[in-house]
Amino acid sequence: MEPTAKQVDTGASWPPEEGQIITFKSLSGLKTGILREVRWGLVWRDFILEDGRVIPEHKILGHPEPPVWRKADEVSQDEREAGEERLVSMAEAGLDPWDQEQSFWAELNQYLAYTYLRFKQTGHKAPDAE
Amino acid sequence: MSPYDEFEKEQVWKLLSEAGLVDITLDDFPELLKQAKHVVMGRLSELLELTTDIQERQSVAYSLGTLKKLETTLRVDACRSSPGDPDASEK
Repeated sequence: MEPTAKQVDTGASWPPEEGQIITFKSLSGLKTGILREVRWGLVWRDFILEDGRVIPEHKILGHPEPPVWRKADEVSQDEREAGEERLVSMAEAGLDPWDQEQSFWAELNQYLAYTYLRFKQTGHKAPDAE
Repeated sequence: MSPYDEFEKEQVWKLLSEAGLVDITLDDFPELLKQAKHVVMGRLSELLELTTDIQERQSVAYSLGTLKKLETTLRVDACRSSPGDPDASEK
């Protein structure tokens, strides 16, 4: 049977190409999917699969160590505000935020990481105990 | 990539990992959202004491508004906090 997608080889160039099969870690173990595109988030890259699942790069088997990331000051105000508006829209639309392989969770996760990095540089820390 | 960049990459990744922000669990999400709000409020109060940088002040206030809307809309406090948590009613 002719394969419809190529599995990512160990040691292959990174990131994998569109149409390749990637393997990633999930709560229920290793899963696979066909890569549709790689998209930058506010901090790291997300791998978008053909079926719409969104997997952060650091969960993909074979990713570089440490994973690739962006500095907070590389994110423009327009990009940040667009992301914030998307998050609020998704929340208000009643999307399930707890599905860990969907874009809402992916964007929430990145937004918290980005916010932490953005203000960590100015020396602010959350209180240890409340 | 320079060795400095590589070092910085590792440091940032370590920072995010230690803060629990690389792979957030559902149970940790309410607390991390609350911490993010505290960090942003700290920066905002600092900016309010300054007469300059109004643009950053607006930007930080906007981000704080986003976090509050997310918290309210997702009702993460009500759904995820343990009973008796005094911060659970914070809005």
